[in-house]
Amino acid sequence: MITSDETLRIGVYVCHCGSNIAGTVDVEALTKFAEGLPHVALARHYKYMCSDPGQELVKRDIVEFGLNRIVVAACSPNLHEATFRRAAEDAGLNRFLVQIANIREQVAWVTEDRQEALEKAESHLGAAVRRVARHVPLQRQFVRIVPRAMVVGGGIAGIQAALTLAEAGREVILVEREPSIGGHMAMFDKTFPTLDCAACILTPKMTAVKLHPNIKLLTYSTVESVEGSVGNFRIKVKRKPRYIDESLCVGCMQCIDGCAFTRAKFPNAFDQGLGLRKPVWIPFPQAVPPVPVVDPEVCLQIARGKCKQGCVEACGERNAFRFDQQERIEEYEVGAVVVATGFHAFDPSVISYYGYGKYPNVYTSLEVERLLNAGGPTSGKLVLRDGSTPKRVGIIHCVGSRDANYHAYCSRVCCMYALKLAHLVREKTEAEVYNCYIDIRAAGKGFEEFYNRVQNEGVQFVRGKVADITPAAGQGTSAEGGLVMKVDDTLLGSIREINVDMVILAVALEPQADANQVRRTFGISCSAEGFFLEKHPKLAPVNTANDGVLVAGACQGAKDIPDTVAQADAAAAKALALIDAGQIELEPNTAWIEEDICSGCKTCINLCPYQAIRADEERKIAVVDPALCKGCGTCVAACPSGAARQHLFGDEQISEELEGLMNYV
Amino acid sequence: MTTVESHDGKRLLEQLGASDYGKPPLGCMQCGLCAATCPLGPAMELPPRKLILYAAAGNLEPVLSSPALWMCVACYACSKRCPRGIELTEGLWPALRDAAMQAGIQPPAELQETFQNVLKYGNVLGKSPRQRLDWTKGLDVRVLDLSREPRPVDVLWLVGCYPSYYPRNQVVARAFARILTELGVSWGILGARERSPGECDRMFGEEGLFETLVEQNRELFDKQDFGKLVVLDPHAFRALQSFYPRFGAWYPVQHYTMFLAEHLEQLRPLIVRPVEAVVTYHDNCCVGRRCGCYDPPRELLQLIPGVKLVEMARNRDDSLCCGGGGGGMWLDAHIVAHGGQRLSDERVRQAAASGADTLAVSCPYELSRFEDAAKVTGLEERLKVRDIIELLAESMELGERSVS
Repeated sequence: MITSDETLRIGVYVCHCGSNIAGTVDVEALTKFAEGLPHVALARHYKYMCSDPGQELVKRDIVEFGLNRIVVAACSPNLHEATFRRAAEDAGLNRFLVQIANIREQVAWVTEDRQEALEKAESHLGAAVRRVARHVPLQRQFVRIVPRAMVVGGGIAGIQAALTLAEAGREVILVEREPSIGGHMAMFDKTFPTLDCAACILTPKMTAVKLHPNIKLLTYSTVESVEGSVGNFRIKVKRKPRYIDESLCVGCMQCIDGCAFTRAKFPNAFDQGLGLRKPVWIPFPQAVPPVPVVDPEVCLQIARGKCKQGCVEACGERNAFRFDQQERIEEYEVGAVVVATGFHAFDPSVISYYGYGKYPNVYTSLEVERLLNAGGPTSGKLVLRDGSTPKRVGIIHCVGSRDANYHAYCSRVCCMYALKLAHLVREKTEAEVYNCYIDIRAAGKGFEEFYNRVQNEGVQFVRGKVADITPAAGQGTSAEGGLVMKVDDTLLGSIREINVDMVILAVALEPQADANQVRRTFGISCSAEGFFLEKHPKLAPVNTANDGVLVAGACQGAKDIPDTVAQADAAAAKALALIDAGQIELEPNTAWIEEDICSGCKTCINLCPYQAIRADEERKIAVVDPALCKGCGTCVAACPSGAARQHLFGDEQISEELEGLMNYV
Repeated sequence: MTTVESHDGKRLLEQLGASDYGKPPLGCMQCGLCAATCPLGPAMELPPRKLILYAAAGNLEPVLSSPALWMCVACYACSKRCPRGIELTEGLWPALRDAAMQAGIQPPAELQETFQNVLKYGNVLGKSPRQRLDWTKGLDVRVLDLSREPRPVDVLWLVGCYPSYYPRNQVVARAFARILTELGVSWGILGARERSPGECDRMFGEEGLFETLVEQNRELFDKQDFGKLVVLDPHAFRALQSFYPRFGAWYPVQHYTMFLAEHLEQLRPLIVRPVEAVVTYHDNCCVGRRCGCYDPPRELLQLIPGVKLVEMARNRDDSLCCGGGGGGMWLDAHIVAHGGQRLSDERVRQAAASGADTLAVSCPYELSRFEDAAKVTGLEERLKVRDIIELLAESMELGERSVS
């Protein structure tokens, strides 16, 4: 019902948007129509309402004609609602007494017939006028932002993001699942295309993390839950027991020597199982923190309760061992989160025709990285399972990538790391190397030059996807010896059988196995292939659908180290821009409870997806925390007594808008 | 299937893209995985990759006139692996063969004769329909001929061409009749009215003949009241399961290994006699690679006491075809003449290398192909070829004295 409030003085402004609107909608006729609407004191049309003169027009009219409601018929409120709200506020009007009628995206751009366009525009404008008449002044609300950030994942992406934030003077909590930071990069021997030693460029950054006073490092820890929203996240972190007190351990590693197991006999996951470790172990010598971890499954003291405890003896008066350590939960408040949880290397054993797991001398690229690494299980010697040096090595590209049966996408880095491995294999063993590829993708700074260099070093390039790996003639299926790669050499135009004694599978980069769980924890989305989805592929590459949660590195999509580092810095900058703002304005459309009507039934409390409503047990009513409310309206719809209301979406506002829409059709 | 109105290869590939046979060949990235995967690839003048390459370049002439066009034995290995998900086996090859025949290029003579046989007599062997029931002569269980005595049954068993006419396969048919009876299933056959479902005709691009057979069979089936079709021939299973529905002919169908594996618990008490044998199982392509059904046949074999099941190096997805599918049964001469090998010869060598003394099969074509191959390769003494049905029947004491 049209309000009879005679004090209402609504100003209507119709924007031409150049010819964007005026080309289709008769703006003069629309302005005339507006003049006839109830409570409209004034209606104008103007070429660009969003321009300074356009805004000035509104401001002047408010003062001169005593307007107390404003309707702008223009583009989407996503674009200029804030502009006109500010203009109204500048002229002394409450900013929430402004309503936008979207006659560009919803009318001009999607309607061909001019008459039809005018009618639609009238209907939209009429709805806005009817609605704004019911608007009431609201107060802008701000919440304080916690000036601290959390970075989840301690690979090169997380390390870089944490260091950038810390160097800007902000507190950072860096959470890493493994006992040490470093991620995949710490496993690599060299990096393409410059052949920098990975450890030489990574470990200084790892040490910087350890030493930085602004970084609190939580290794062997995972994020359990995330509550709150942008500016005010409350995050629970699960800290797995190391059974060693990090604050007392000095990293002397004497406990490892002292362990009751005189010989290492358990597979070291960091070495892809190629190396062995003891129950008390450290993934690699430069681990950060340099604190060993005890494997409770195999430690005699923990698993069986009896051991002579040579480790404790070796630790001596430092007395860092804590066999009674328990898993514990710590809670942190942060303003922004950078998710940098990295990738998982594809397990090629599912491709039966490559025989990984069946033929011992078929390796993954990551395994070969460990073999080539001086800190790896063979101290950098590239050897076959029997200890001999390979003479002929096949490298198969696109294993699990560019394959509709596994991952349809290109993993972007495999061509280059396969070229790097080819170079290193030749350098270390002088073996004949065959790179079997579909296309060489060397699009990056210095990449094509590196490809050319590797060609000139004598690596053989075979264009074709290998179809079968079988034992060489005369050898059984479990043979330690030679293998045959069968491949259609598509450039020669013939099917070749290439004898090799080692095969390296250049495996795909895929999302982490628990990416979906992480996605849910942080309220973000995944793309079809399972990588975390950025807010916009071009214009918001590190933002996510959840404000305040940013992504960096290979968790967002397969990428190399330079791109990862650049993205990590971008995410850190975004996080910094957010937490440095000090406060954040809340959307005004929050819910509120009409206390006289609320019966205290608590229906809304259980339904609220943001835990924004609590029960006031004394007054027997529900109370909404506007800082947590996201304005989803669930409580409003569910409240059995109609006590839950929502600013800017009151029943009377919505029904007036609908009536307006219907009346002028 | 696509009707080809011109020799424009690009258009043919586009038409295939618009049909529902997998992803379009236009998305081929020329990786050559199909060519190196194909067991006959090295012998093909134009392996699948090049067929697509030439066709996509618009040059269909060399494709249609290449002897390679008649060398595919429909093993599905290329389709299964294609990284772009292109359906070569059911899409590309039949379309190219259809185009060739429309262009007046004749397929190998033996194959043409088979087509004629199917058209004239309703079976690939060119035998009289009246002899279809010969296999039941002297059989000790009652065979219900539904074409004479229509009545509701749970199982309408399509016996198939080889089990009906070919002596070695008739043994299997009789054993299966006894097993069905012993299981207490209500079953019947179509007797002299049964016709080939046309599986290899479709694969060979004889789309017209295939449509005729679909119509004839539909008419036959629709007159009967049955729960499901059960077939011995994996190719018939594939045709009925996935090609017939394209013509609106939907019938529940099972290959016999699937049907019997569903009756494991009923079979278990009937298995009484151990069969001392080291058995390796050859995955047929249609039930195996095509449908991903690998466990039921093995479950049946493991039911038999005394059987020690061993695997060949190439099994399941990587199984080597016997060379008999998609018309391959009548292409050996053509394939060998163009430098290819009989795949069944290689496969029996692989079976022998596995340490098995018995090669178990579940396809009527394989029985004779592998027995011939065992003779040719000199493995006859070392390797027996037996259908799973025969092994089960022996253990159920339902086998024939002549083949124990």
